[in-house]
Amino acid sequence: MAAASSSDSEGGRAESEASSKWLDAHYDPMANIHTFSACLVLADLHGDGEYKLAVGDLGPSGRQPCLKVLKGPTVLAESALPALPAAAAAFLMGQHEPRTPALALASGPCVYVYKNLRPYFKFSLPQLPPNPLEQDLWNQAKEDQIDHLTLKEMLEGIREKAEVPLSVQSLRFLQLELSEMEAFVNQHKSKPIKRQAVITTMTTLKKNMADEDAMSCLVLGTENKELLVLDPEAFTILAKMSLPGVPVFLEVSGQFDVAFRLAAACRNGNIYILRRDCKRPKYCIELSTQPVGLVLAHKVLVVGSTQDNLHGFTHKGKRLWTVHMPAAILTMNLLEQRSRGLQAVMAGLANGEVRIYHDKALLNVIRTPDAVTSLCFGRYGREDNTLIVTTRGGGLIIKILKRTAVFAEGAGEVGPPPAQAMKLNVPRKTRLYVDQTLREREAGTAMHRTFQTDLYLLRLRAARAYVRALESSLNPVSATAREPLKLHAVVQGLGPTFKLTLHLQNTSTARPILGLLVCFLYNEVLYALPRAFFKVPLLVPGLNYPLETFVESLSDKGISDIIKVLVLREGQSAPLLSAHINMPVSEGLAAA
Amino acid sequence: MAEEALASLSVFFSPICSSHFVPWKLDAPFLSLPLRTQFSASAESQKPQLKKAPEFPILEKQNWLIHLHYIRKDYEACKAVIKEQLQETQGLCEYAIYVQALIFRLEGNIQESLELFQTCAVLSPQCADNLKQVARSLFLLGKHKAAIEVYSEAAKLNQKDWEICHNLGVCYIYLKQFNKAQDQLHNALHLNRHDLTYIMLGKIHLLEGDLDKAIEIYKKAVEFSPENTELLTTLGLLYLQLGIYQKAFEHLGNALTYDPTNYKAILAAGSMMQTHGDFDVALTKYRVVACAVPESPPLWNNIGMCFFGKKKYVAAISCLKRANYLAPFDWKILYNLGLVHLTMQQYASAFHFLSAAINFQPKMGELYMLLAVALTNLEDIENAKRAYAEAVRLDKCNPLVNLNYAVLLYNQGEKRAALTQYQEMEKKVNLLKDSSSLEFDSEMVEMAQKLGAALQVGEALVWTKPVKDPKSKHRSPSASKAASVPQPLGSNQALGQAMSSAAAYRKLPSGAGGTSQLTKPPSLPLEPEPTEEAHPTEASAQIREK
Repeated sequence: MAAASSSDSEGGRAESEASSKWLDAHYDPMANIHTFSACLVLADLHGDGEYKLAVGDLGPSGRQPCLKVLKGPTVLAESALPALPAAAAAFLMGQHEPRTPALALASGPCVYVYKNLRPYFKFSLPQLPPNPLEQDLWNQAKEDQIDHLTLKEMLEGIREKAEVPLSVQSLRFLQLELSEMEAFVNQHKSKPIKRQAVITTMTTLKKNMADEDAMSCLVLGTENKELLVLDPEAFTILAKMSLPGVPVFLEVSGQFDVAFRLAAACRNGNIYILRRDCKRPKYCIELSTQPVGLVLAHKVLVVGSTQDNLHGFTHKGKRLWTVHMPAAILTMNLLEQRSRGLQAVMAGLANGEVRIYHDKALLNVIRTPDAVTSLCFGRYGREDNTLIVTTRGGGLIIKILKRTAVFAEGAGEVGPPPAQAMKLNVPRKTRLYVDQTLREREAGTAMHRTFQTDLYLLRLRAARAYVRALESSLNPVSATAREPLKLHAVVQGLGPTFKLTLHLQNTSTARPILGLLVCFLYNEVLYALPRAFFKVPLLVPGLNYPLETFVESLSDKGISDIIKVLVLREGQSAPLLSAHINMPVSEGLAAA
Repeated sequence: MAEEALASLSVFFSPICSSHFVPWKLDAPFLSLPLRTQFSASAESQKPQLKKAPEFPILEKQNWLIHLHYIRKDYEACKAVIKEQLQETQGLCEYAIYVQALIFRLEGNIQESLELFQTCAVLSPQCADNLKQVARSLFLLGKHKAAIEVYSEAAKLNQKDWEICHNLGVCYIYLKQFNKAQDQLHNALHLNRHDLTYIMLGKIHLLEGDLDKAIEIYKKAVEFSPENTELLTTLGLLYLQLGIYQKAFEHLGNALTYDPTNYKAILAAGSMMQTHGDFDVALTKYRVVACAVPESPPLWNNIGMCFFGKKKYVAAISCLKRANYLAPFDWKILYNLGLVHLTMQQYASAFHFLSAAINFQPKMGELYMLLAVALTNLEDIENAKRAYAEAVRLDKCNPLVNLNYAVLLYNQGEKRAALTQYQEMEKKVNLLKDSSSLEFDSEMVEMAQKLGAALQVGEALVWTKPVKDPKSKHRSPSASKAASVPQPLGSNQALGQAMSSAAAYRKLPSGAGGTSQLTKPPSLPLEPEPTEEAHPTEASAQIREK
């Protein structure tokens, strides 16, 4: 493992390691672990005091789920799972010695319980009660008392109104074409209607004692918006609570037999807080975004939101504070340093940082080479304070908190932002500018007068030129009522032969124009055109007519001249419009 | 189910990587029968069913995974799972479609997302969530009326949802039905209080031009969520607009405590510091903004005016020119450029900047007055007079305009006209004195008294204030603002300075020649001070705020 992590420059690492609170124990970018924080468990699975890491792994593409058990940097055991693991937890099932915790893995509708890493028990969620009306209908179908179309209509009616959703069987039936119905009904009619819930999340809750090695119940959140508390010995359902949304994250404090508080972050963006002896949520926190993590630290409920904020709430749902993160939060977990009585919140960010907060004070920032996907802190091996981090590419990082390390508040960002120390980038002025300023001070009046005079002259000339252009139709756009025309010309080629394309467009809305002529005026010493005068075809409104002609440059002295294009109406000597084309200098050799 | 369960069982019992399991010696137990009867019983009971008909997959099997990928913004992985789940369930998994639609919307394919949400609404018509999302997509497509209809449908299914009320309110805002919008937003607040709802309510009041009500709303919002920097900044800016500087500074300061890099708050607080002459502190604060938003015209305008206040005129011009380059159509920057060039005695340049400013803002007396000052210095008396005439016509409360005009007329020997202007000025002064306790610029007073003497009207005018009331000073700029222009642009001092240069140009023995620029004692904190020109920036910050 040392080889894996020694790729960085040694000097820089040693330096940063000295000031860091963490020892880099292991880094394997190819560990091939793809999981969520909920599926990471640190527990003394063999009861030998050597804590192992159990990982519910989704597999590289989320298709090969397996359970991995790691001891130190190596994978001790691996066993394939039937379905993707949603959550993992370690819990003590009974009072008997030796007190070896069992490992529970929630997957699909089942919880798989392992003891001593051997399959021990499988708990399946009870079937949900089907809609009685639906049941009736299928019973009738079984006895062929109802035809398929009526069945379909009735089922659709149930779907529209009923509180209890339809079973998959009915939903699939509703999708079918008429011809397929018969076979489907015959195949399935004798089967009981089933609705199966799925476990979405799982956590543990101490049963009746707060000790670290006390019995714990499993708390399951299900897809049908319920929370179940399971008895650790008999695996019966001790309590059932319903929520207004599907739970995603759970946080529990207290003991089941005494008093407990349950916070459930749900898919509707709300967090519900429940207490013992109430079937319904007591308080509700509306986040207005989706929660991405939920951690209970020192009685403060810390929630990460998709808007890159960490919020702190009291157990009654009152917002205490908000901290903005520099990147999207991917995962969160609790950091508990028992020796110092510290509970802090770790947040893994998309930019590869792990930020550790105590309330709103930033305690520490750990930088990892990739986006962090899951975090876990606790006893690993024989080391009390170990941080397990997995990254997006499947990497595994194990860091050990130095025994001397103390998290001090305010170690993060304090004081003015660093940008305040940067110098302002004020544009410099040149000597010339200063000289001109001085000149303006001395002769400002003269400058102003000259400028004003020139401005008037310019305006006068512009006006004159405009009038002249209007009078002699020298402009390329003709705005007369009868022949609204637009002309523009393009010259292509390097010479001595150029291609001159005139684009002529009739800009009237409806009327075509007929009987136009084009005439070129040019210096015959310099240029030769095959035809200096030709007729324009009928111009349909809106279309662009390219009229092409070749121009040959006769001079070899590198002189260029203007070619004038006149558009005329038959029988009139004044042009409708005209264009001056500045011919480019011929770059090729003149034709011999 | 049985098929899958069976498969799962077989996997569950067989060691997959037996080699790995060897050290654990787990082979035997994994193959042995389960310890509990329940386990095997369930397995056996499922076996016979398998032969009859294929089991249906559980529709919601991977909803949790889709959701986890979605909230972690890993949309590619999310889409892969959605595709798989939809294939398996033949498009029946509503949640997968729902999230797919959400992702489409995030990617900007609003129309596609709308269609998918409608599919969801068909799959489970009783779910208000789907309708809400349909409405949201309609809203994003700009179909506010349709969105309102769908939201109203959703509201029938779920009456206690603040989100529906809030979004209905927002739709009504876009339809300009402010009363309905207010009702809905108040409903939303009643159900559950959210910062966003407060912001929207405040926005309505601002759109209606009711600053006081907006401030009330924002006050409540800040009470509810005291750490929201956006709320704090907005409230601070509103107070600033009303001229209640103490409170404005308090809120802006709070905003900066929570977020020391808040662009808007820094600009506003900085401009207030400039007003008090704390140029160095303001410049330090601006550095943060210069790093975050280096191409902000108001920022460079303010920095420029800081340098102007520190009498670093070349730097001031550089910064203002950059501001002007970034926002060539902002007349306030042009105004400031004109002012600085007047100070630098570059009258020809000043003329250009001022005339450009007038082109963008043709309704401000002070601009014409400054133009007239520039023209006077360029010895174009005719046009200067015309500019003054325009200034006098437009301006309603600034005595400086008349005073400067009177000085020009007196210098031209038109004593009668000068006297008229002088009397106009007296009227305005009296008006100002009655309405507020505005501190008159000493240089202006001196000039007026000299002119009065020259015109032989005597010293009848009482310039000095009876008592300096420190409290009422806060309000003074707002009073003057209410009278005419939205901001007390171009303070007395600045104009006085401009005026003095105009006066120094000719015969009137004044000795004011632009030397007495900083005459105010710095101990008086909230007077209109030399660099109130910085105010345009505040204004622009506020405008953007709206």
